[in-house]
Parts: sequence; C-alpha cells; structure tokens
Amino acid sequence: MTDLKALTESVIKGDIGTATTETQHAVETGHNPQDILDKGLIGAMDEVGESFSKGKIFIPQMLRSAKTMQECMKVLEPLFQKGDITSKGKVIIGTVKGDLHDIGKNLVSMMMEGAGFTMFDLGVNASPERFVQKAQEIEPDIVAMSALLSTTMPSMRQTIEALKQASIRGKVKVMIGGAPVTEKYAREIEADCYAPDAGSAVIKAKGILGIA
Amino acid sequence: MKPIEIPTFQPRLRVLDRQQALAIHAAALEILEKIGFKMEHPGALEMLIDAGCKVTGGDWLKLPPYLVEAALASAPKQIVLYDQRGNRAMPLVDGNLFYGTGSDATFTLDLETGQRRRVVLKDVANFARLADGLENIAFTMSMGNPEDVPVEDIYVHVFAEMVRNTNKPIVFIADSGRDIAKIYEIACQVVGGEEELRDTPFLLNYSEAISPLHFPENVMEKLIFCAEKGIPICLPSGSNAGGGAPITLAGAMALGIAENLVGLVVHQLAGKGSPFLFGPNVSTLDMKSTVVSYGCPEWSLTQAALADMRDEIYGLPIWAYAGASDAKVMDAQAGAEAMFSIISSMLSRCNLIHDVGFLEYGNTSSLEMVTMANELIAMSRFFTEGIPINDETLALEAIERVVGGGPGSIFLMDDHTFEHFMQAQFLPGLLDRNRYDPWKEAGTTDLYQRCNLEAKRILAGHPVDPKADEILKGIDRILEGG
Repeated sequence: MTDLKALTESVIKGDIGTATTETQHAVETGHNPQDILDKGLIGAMDEVGESFSKGKIFIPQMLRSAKTMQECMKVLEPLFQKGDITSKGKVIIGTVKGDLHDIGKNLVSMMMEGAGFTMFDLGVNASPERFVQKAQEIEPDIVAMSALLSTTMPSMRQTIEALKQASIRGKVKVMIGGAPVTEKYAREIEADCYAPDAGSAVIKAKGILGIA
Repeated sequence: MKPIEIPTFQPRLRVLDRQQALAIHAAALEILEKIGFKMEHPGALEMLIDAGCKVTGGDWLKLPPYLVEAALASAPKQIVLYDQRGNRAMPLVDGNLFYGTGSDATFTLDLETGQRRRVVLKDVANFARLADGLENIAFTMSMGNPEDVPVEDIYVHVFAEMVRNTNKPIVFIADSGRDIAKIYEIACQVVGGEEELRDTPFLLNYSEAISPLHFPENVMEKLIFCAEKGIPICLPSGSNAGGGAPITLAGAMALGIAENLVGLVVHQLAGKGSPFLFGPNVSTLDMKSTVVSYGCPEWSLTQAALADMRDEIYGLPIWAYAGASDAKVMDAQAGAEAMFSIISSMLSRCNLIHDVGFLEYGNTSSLEMVTMANELIAMSRFFTEGIPINDETLALEAIERVVGGGPGSIFLMDDHTFEHFMQAQFLPGLLDRNRYDPWKEAGTTDLYQRCNLEAKRILAGHPVDPKADEILKGIDRILEGG
C-alpha cells in the first residue's frame, strides 16, 4: 500500500486530476475506502480549514480543495455499502422562509461538507414545515438556518417552535447565522449556537456535537 | 486693461473611455437577451411579456434591447428631491452630488461609552438630528435596524422616527408593498397629500433585487408602487464581484447594470416618466473574510466607471456610496478608507452618495464617522472646485504692495489677505493643525475624540424645526393603525 501523502497534497493544492487518480490508485493498492476518506480527504480538508482560519489561503482556494474532495468522493462512493460511510454528522441547512439570499448558506454548506459533514440543503425560502419534514425523514444531528434580512429572522423562531411541536427539538442541535443575526438573538430563541461566518460554523458545529 | 476672466476648470476623474462604456453596456444587453432573468412577481411578469419579453420556462424571461432603449428614453434625466418643507434640496442631474448616511446596520457605537451595541430607535433619531445639523450631509437614512420596535413594521417605525427628527430628504427602506404603503401615508401626512408628494418628493426608496438576476415578488411590489405614485426609487442589486457577480469588475458591472435595467424597464412600464435613480452596488467580496467590503478601492472604481457610463450612455442620475470603512473602530483605516471613497466619488461626480458614517463593512454605524466625513467632504469640495484665476486671485497688486512696502510688510497684514482668506482657504474644524504644546494642553485629543465631542455638541444644541402637532398626531395614528 502506498501512503496517502500524494492524495492529501493534491487535495490541498486543488489539483482535481491528480487527486482523483491518486484516489483510484489508493483503492487499487488496497486502502480501505473509509481510511482514504478519513485520512486522505478529510485529513487534507482539516489542514485546509486550519490554513484558512489562519488567513494563509483564500476562500476560492478552500472551495477548490472542497470541490477536489467531492470529485474524489465520486470515485469512492460506489465502493461503500449503502449507509456505511461514517460522516461527522448529518446537517439540514436552509435559508429561512421569506428570505431568498443564499451565498452565505452555500459557503457554510461547502465548508461543512469539506469538513466531513453530510449536508441536506433545503435551498432558500424554506418554511418551518420543510425543516420539520426533512428532519423527520433523515434524522439530522444539526439543523442550520440562515437569514440575511432582519424581517425574516422571526422565521428562525417559528422553525424552532415547529421542531418543538413535532417533538424533534430535543433530538437535534440548532445553529443559526446571517448578517443581522446575533449571539443574543440565538439565546433569545433558544438556538444551540450562533456562528458569525462560514469558517467558525465548522468549528462550532464540531463543538456542539462534541467531536474533533 | 481688460480684466482676466477665465472659467474655473473643476477637476474630474475619468476611468472609462467611450469604447469601454459601450462594451459593458453591450454585455449587459446580451445578458438580458441571451441569459435572461427570474421574475417572481406575476404582474411584472405579465407586463414584461406583453411588452415583448420571451418566456423561457416558468418565470424565466429574456428581454430584447429595444425595451431598454425605450425605458432609458422615458425615464427623467433629472430627479429633484425636496426637503420636508417643500424646498428644492437635491437636484440630481449631471454632476450634482449629495452625500448622506446609510441604513440597516445591526450595531452602533455608543456615544457615551464607545461600545458597539445593538441599535435602538433613539439611535435612528440621533442620526437624523445629526444629519440635520451637518452642512455637508444632504439626506438621512436610518443608520440602523432598531431592536426595540416590532420587526413586522420596523421600517415604518424607522421612517416615522426620521421624519420626527429632521427636515432633510430621506432615503428609506421598506420590506414589501404592505409597509411601503404605510410609509407613503406618513409621507403624505408631512406634505399635505398625494399630489403634493408627487410634486415635491422628499423621499427616495432603496430596494434591491438579488444577484444574480433574481427579482423577488416583494421587491417588485415596492418598485411598481413607487412607479405608480411617482416616488423616486433606486434598485441597485448587490452585484458584488465574487459574491453575486463574477470576480472580474467588468463582468460584475455588466451583470449589475443588466439587473438594474430590468428594474428600469418594469418601472417605466408601470409608471412612464417616473423617477428612477440608476445604478448597481458593485463592491467586492473579501476573499478571506467573505464580507462585502465597504472600504475597498473596487467599489469606488466601479461607481466612477458608472458615472462615465452615465455621461456616455445613460444620462440618468446615479446611486453611489462613500465615507464608510471595514474597520471596527474609527482608526486610521477608517479615515483612510472613508477619504478614499469620498474624494473619488466627488471627482467622478456620482449623484446620490450614501453610507457615510459606516464602520465594520456596514454592520456598525458611528456618529463620529458621520461627523468626520462631513469635514472630509468639505476638504474634498475645496479640491474639486479647482483654482479660480482672475485679477483678484493672481494678486499682482498685493504682491507689488507687500514687496515694495519696506521692512515689516508681510502678506498676513495686507488687505488682500484679510478680504480673501476665508474663501481662498479650506478652513478645518475637526482636523487639527495646532502646534504641539497647545495640542498637548488641550488634552492630546485624536480625531475620534474630537468628532465624539462635536457630535455630542450638535445633538445637544442643534434645533430641528419641529413638525406641526397635527402631522405628528397623524403619524402616531398611522403607526397605531397596525
């Protein structure tokens, strides 16, 4: 078995061609797909995430690494039995009802996926009912909500209420974010945490689930 | 001898030539014709289809260039904003420029403690009063979304508070057709009725489509309302390079202009000849923090380019920004970034220039920043007004007098200096030029501290002409009406 160094380096560099070739190579030389995922891909993304939070690399570079990881996942996925991939956690994410802004949400989603979370994106204008419905369907660890407009923030409160009504609230952690959202508001609506940007969203998500 | 009479050249910054302007405009038209946009307001969708747009699936439309030409032809080249007493205040045309504050900040810097805290309604009042008392601030905006008013009608409460605390023109935010109608009602109260408001509008609505190419129903409701009522409006989407638009500035401008043109077309179809303030917001997304930058050179550059495009093609007055910063406190970065956008927007002759006084990329408002910017605007004005050349300013007689006047004869003592110094110089108020020892004795203050004191002085002492009781009571009734 060759080591996974070439793979991690190509993910860090965002070299999709080399990374997918290295992934295939790793499979052919006897690596366990879960090991390739954990040590090769997520390991690389952890390093990327660290460089990013230290201000050493830019977002497009981080996203390129995330995209590289996604391409490698396409190579690995057929090798996993259904339901066998262990991810850091399942996350439902959406921009709340009445709000159509999604750049921030998309960034958070990409970065969390890069960190090893499995993302379920409800898109924009996602009603409390949609959040509940998806939660009932996939039993997430985290429900994450985004809003850009002050006037749509009440939808966050309503979604938490809907989760309570459906007896789901106690089974998930709720994270919120977006330009007008504050730590204080998170406490007010009894969300589990607030993250001010995509980078800290990953750190906070790991924190509330108690994982590394 | 015939007196020297030379018109004063006033420096003007140009960043695009005609060929470039036409290229960006052509790209904008191509975006509309070949890529299209999403129109979520059924009424607007129908209007556009009737006018000649092609539907390419659901609510996705493509727009032929001739519709743009027609809208540009019918939109007025001059928009006049009045103050709340019906006086002509801001004729937005050609190179006339006016600075004002901004809206939707979540936080503000406390005047007493310097702490960053959530905005409350009293802050909206204070910013309005400060704007009312500052010579170079021509209009006011909310400078915050207060946490102590019901969020469903937040913009109505904020508008009423501005009306109570200033008589200058107001640029306002609304959420949808529902609350804009209430704000309109309040505005009619102030001037006496709908016709009066149409004739002498003191307000302008600021709404945004969503980049890229997405036109939500509530946004179009506001646009159509304003078009029908003749209320001036701007519809700059946040087509920020790297965010809602491509990272390269030419493409970001083309996209933002395309989006703006959709708004203009719908606007003129709904209200031919109604006033539309032109232009997108084209800043850039910081590639480390992902904030939309308020201190970057990119935004100043793209709006300077927009001003050139106005002069070459559009002819409509334009929306712009200045006097803001990404700094979290009012430090050297805040001063540098504020001055950069103030002087460049002035040199490029943008028309309605908002966001003066913002820190933290628009998230925190600061009374001190507004106060500082007031002086920076004056300093910039001095520069852009150029150097008048005539017999008086060439001062040959004064030179002869002083030089020939024997020992003790200095320009300082000469009549010419006494007569001219107040116009010939820029006279700073808050920018400090003291010698070291007096500065030390006065308390070694920096600009932030002096602006803080000045803001307090204005808030304590500047008299805002109050509205008549009936007007205030009428406003209360509308707010309670619910």
